[in-house]
Amino acid sequence: MIPSPYKASSGEEGLATGLTKVQAGIITIIILVAVVAGVYYMVTQGREAEKPVTVELTGDFETDVVNIGKALAAHGIKEVKYTVWSGGDPNSVMRVYGIVEAAARITKIWGDKGVDVKITVTTRYESDPKIVYSDYISKWTLGQAPDIMANGYVYIASLAEEGYILDLTPYLEKYSDFLEDFYSALVDAMKYKGKIYGIPQDTEARPIYIRKDVAECAGIDLTGLADKVKNGEFTWKDLYDLALKAKNAGCAEWGVIHRKGSAHPDLIQFIFAFEGKLYNDATGKLVLDKEAVYKWFATEKAFADAGLLPSDMMGWDWGKQIHPTVVNGKTLAFIGGVWHWTEWQTKSYYTDPATGEPRPLTAEEVHDFFYYTLFPAGEPGKKPVTLSQPYAWMINSKAGYQNPDFDKLKDLYLKLAFLLVVKASDPDINAIHSIISSHLPVTKSALNLLRDSSWVADLVNLPTIVSGEVKNSISDIVARTANPINVAFLEDATYMLDYTTFTPKHPLYPKLAEFFAEAIDKVLRGTLSPKDAVDFLVSKINADPDLKEAVEIVGEIPSGWSLTG
Amino acid sequence: MPGMRDVEVRSRASEALILLVILAVSLPLITGYSLLILSGFSKSMVTNLDPSSFYPTLMNWILLLQGRTAQFAGIRVNIWGIVANTLVVALGVSALVTLVGSLTGYAVSRMNFAGRKHIMMLLILLHAFPGSVLVVGVAFIYRMFMPPLEYIRFYSFFYVIVARAAIEIPMATWLMKGFFDMIPWEIEWSAIVDGASRFRVWWNVLLPMIKPGVAAVMLFGFLAGWMDLIYVRTFLVDRTLATFIEANAEAEYAYLPLVAVAGTLYLLPTIIFFIAAQRLIFTISVSGIKG
Amino acid sequence: MPKSSVFSSKALHGFKQFVRSEASRFLALALFLVAVFYIIPICISVYMSFTPLRNWNIDRYAGIFVGLENYYRFFYLLANDPSVKSVFLTTAVFVALTLAVNVLGGLSLAIATFFVNERAAGGLQLLWLLPRMTPIAVYSLIWYYFFHPSSIGTINGILYKLGLISKPIDIGQGIIPWGAWAIIVFVNGLVGVSYGMIVFTSAINNIPKELVIAARVDGASNWDITRKILVPMLRWHILYVTTWQLLSLLTTYDHLFLLVKWGLVNRDYGTTWSLYIYNTAFLTGLQDQGLAAAAGVILVIVSSILGFITLKLMGFDKLIKPPRGDL
Repeated sequence: MIPSPYKASSGEEGLATGLTKVQAGIITIIILVAVVAGVYYMVTQGREAEKPVTVELTGDFETDVVNIGKALAAHGIKEVKYTVWSGGDPNSVMRVYGIVEAAARITKIWGDKGVDVKITVTTRYESDPKIVYSDYISKWTLGQAPDIMANGYVYIASLAEEGYILDLTPYLEKYSDFLEDFYSALVDAMKYKGKIYGIPQDTEARPIYIRKDVAECAGIDLTGLADKVKNGEFTWKDLYDLALKAKNAGCAEWGVIHRKGSAHPDLIQFIFAFEGKLYNDATGKLVLDKEAVYKWFATEKAFADAGLLPSDMMGWDWGKQIHPTVVNGKTLAFIGGVWHWTEWQTKSYYTDPATGEPRPLTAEEVHDFFYYTLFPAGEPGKKPVTLSQPYAWMINSKAGYQNPDFDKLKDLYLKLAFLLVVKASDPDINAIHSIISSHLPVTKSALNLLRDSSWVADLVNLPTIVSGEVKNSISDIVARTANPINVAFLEDATYMLDYTTFTPKHPLYPKLAEFFAEAIDKVLRGTLSPKDAVDFLVSKINADPDLKEAVEIVGEIPSGWSLTG
Repeated sequence: MPGMRDVEVRSRASEALILLVILAVSLPLITGYSLLILSGFSKSMVTNLDPSSFYPTLMNWILLLQGRTAQFAGIRVNIWGIVANTLVVALGVSALVTLVGSLTGYAVSRMNFAGRKHIMMLLILLHAFPGSVLVVGVAFIYRMFMPPLEYIRFYSFFYVIVARAAIEIPMATWLMKGFFDMIPWEIEWSAIVDGASRFRVWWNVLLPMIKPGVAAVMLFGFLAGWMDLIYVRTFLVDRTLATFIEANAEAEYAYLPLVAVAGTLYLLPTIIFFIAAQRLIFTISVSGIKG
Repeated sequence: MPKSSVFSSKALHGFKQFVRSEASRFLALALFLVAVFYIIPICISVYMSFTPLRNWNIDRYAGIFVGLENYYRFFYLLANDPSVKSVFLTTAVFVALTLAVNVLGGLSLAIATFFVNERAAGGLQLLWLLPRMTPIAVYSLIWYYFFHPSSIGTINGILYKLGLISKPIDIGQGIIPWGAWAIIVFVNGLVGVSYGMIVFTSAINNIPKELVIAARVDGASNWDITRKILVPMLRWHILYVTTWQLLSLLTTYDHLFLLVKWGLVNRDYGTTWSLYIYNTAFLTGLQDQGLAAAAGVILVIVSSILGFITLKLMGFDKLIKPPRGDL
């Protein structure tokens, strides 16, 4: 017989003993929990009473690292643990490995200077950066958020607003030289209410790719097109004409293809190309520019009506429709991003005409297939644009909390996290990230390194990388992508940053952006006319008390405007 | 002794007809899952019955077992660690739910006590509280009892298991009550008359008779823990297969055949668990009632 | 004596009685867990619906009281935003149809598998349990490609091959609202069916075998056995599954959100109340947990009332008769 925890007893007696046991159990648990909590509270309070240890930054990286290392060692710290999270395309994995490498470099400096401390970094990298952001904020209050996160700069607004990330302005005072190496537009993008909350990690432009083979087939001459776009001589109307020509000649199934769903920033470029506004600097409010938004909708609608743009574009499948259509030349143009350049070289979207098997393109093929220009002006007299959504390294306002004596040594841990990010911005780390993920470099020194052909030629062996983990993980993609063609593309595309625009860093912007995506989907499907879609946006904004408060609605729908005139 | 089947005078023809009908209804399921498994062995997702989209390869399985998330670059993850985390959560929830459910189910089925009806009512209406509404409050409680950092991983496992099991208590109680109700009272009486306590009767006499119910509750508890997203994502420091797959099924960048492989891998333990539970459900006879 | 104190002293007496009863020993653990993980959190949620809680920032916002602000915002949205209105219509249709599919489907499957041989029954049960066992992202992926509105979609591919259509049909976005509803009912129906199936199957396995054998000997057909033996014996389980699934469906969102996010179904007619809460609380740029809590509290109230009515209608009182022969 299996023994029962309760003795065999009957009637009143068993009843009474059982009860006291249960009651006693519950009471014991409550008392235990209270005692543990009380003791823990007293212990942590006691720690707070101790005088915090601080180290002043000098601005000289090595000195600062050694000072912090010595201070940590003096308090018996042998190992400092950090966690770094990021997300996105697998090619962009340096967003976490940059920190791993920086930790290895700092540990090496300490080793050389006889400081017996090491940094260990735990990483997490997911395909979906939104989930990484969501997890960051849900885990912050539970004390499980990472110490460093690389994510879209748009999140700076809400993270800074809630106090979840560290204001880096005081740290950067001593590191002004370091900061000056970054493009100033990117540093501005890191600011929220005048303070700097992030260090740029990468940035991008969103070129329009035009298939050279399709153009040739349709008898379209692409020579000098990029310059014409740059000067505003080539507008969306002209692209429409080219697309029509290519389609009528039977050279391509589609005229233009674009990304979908959450990828709306690509389409937001239309607003800027029609000289519309999204944000009013003076009032700090979001803007719905009815005229520009109408012209955006009407332009895409004209493409869709002519059969140049699929009416269910926003419902297309990435892996089986969007990428293969572009890579296999079934469209003349594609509103893409610079990162696609190596994405097409690392993912099997292309169907090999000889074998019929899917495979990635080679760098030569990408170069031979794709011409690229800025996003053309909306109409004559307006300017071309591009749009950047830089990634930022953000530091948890409690960075280092997983380590011993956090309350006392907090200052050291926070500064060390900052120095990790500084180190992860080393030119070679940034340049490697740029090459393998085809993002634009964020510092001038990284760009200079890319121009150094001997450095690029040696890259295959990753001579500068200290961390074995990093070397191991990226050697395959470096071997595949580190070649002069890809580097030349990055150098060549960098001029686009002069035309760049940003989406607003407003806590409610993501909500508004969702409405844009919804509206353009309805326009393309034909459920709403461009005019009704603008009204739909207005009604959505007015239906939400918060948005109504935060958005200025300006401009009027132009009567009689159409892309084709 | 074989399980409770309708074996006696069954006609072959009607059996075949029933099977045919169910199979026809099941066609979408069979198609969907076959394509998923096939996609795991292909370089691109197999989505229609067009054989030209199937490019056979074992690469996806190799990549996954190496803990890789892409053909090139991408991070290396400890996939077996993730599988182990998932198992710990699922088995923990299953065990706790089964224990609590069979205790509570017995009480509401066999005992008359003040507030019995209200507790029954409460237990089913509790199910009206969705996890997405509860989770913020549950996070509050998580914070209240947070231990020092060195124990936080252990705590987070413990907490996820208990919190997730709590959500399944109403299900387990109601299910178990249904099973206890089926056992004739005479059995319990005779045991009690012999001097056994209620706990002894519950554990030694009744539980062995409702193994199908226990198996069903175990199965549902296991599945609840195995597939939970919101509690695991919010509270567990580590990741489980469910959260790992969710975060990496971002359609734009992800190499989806790898997601298909991860999904198949995820299904394997649940299938094994089901087959084990199913054998319990089927091999137990209720002939013990007569004894 | 004032009425309220009579009531409270009666309640107190009942409570004391309960604590003294033997049943409390069996129930203690469950009640403890329910209190900690249901009752207290829901009280916290009710409280949070009166605060501007967002982005999980409990420390900052939990102390700020904004009165009925979130409820006002919720009803304002409901009155002004057509998408929010369609959420409620969708919820009603979705719950009603899926509930029917779940209960009837589960019952039919359980009974049908009862009449076939053991091995086939096991295989079928496993097959129908797969949806419940599949990770949500993968499950959504299967149906995403299955219903995809282009030639890559499974259904479109088959229909095209059969020559039934000349151009792909867009069920989830093109046929509004019924196409979108059909997909979400289908996808969730398959998940729910397995629940009823398992409950009913294991219950059928506990029915005394003699009853069926006797009926067979008397020459009863499958239909007679179903109608006269199986269904009556399963009354408790049918009540349970119906009520249970009703509440499940009112509060489910997990098998919907990716279908909406990936654009397979129309956003307005693919979003249920529960998904709306989830999106508001955890997915939108600004994670508005105060507003979500208000919408959630109202959902909990509505679901509880519906659950209560269902229990009454299905004869909960009769089924919950005190157990006979308690010592």
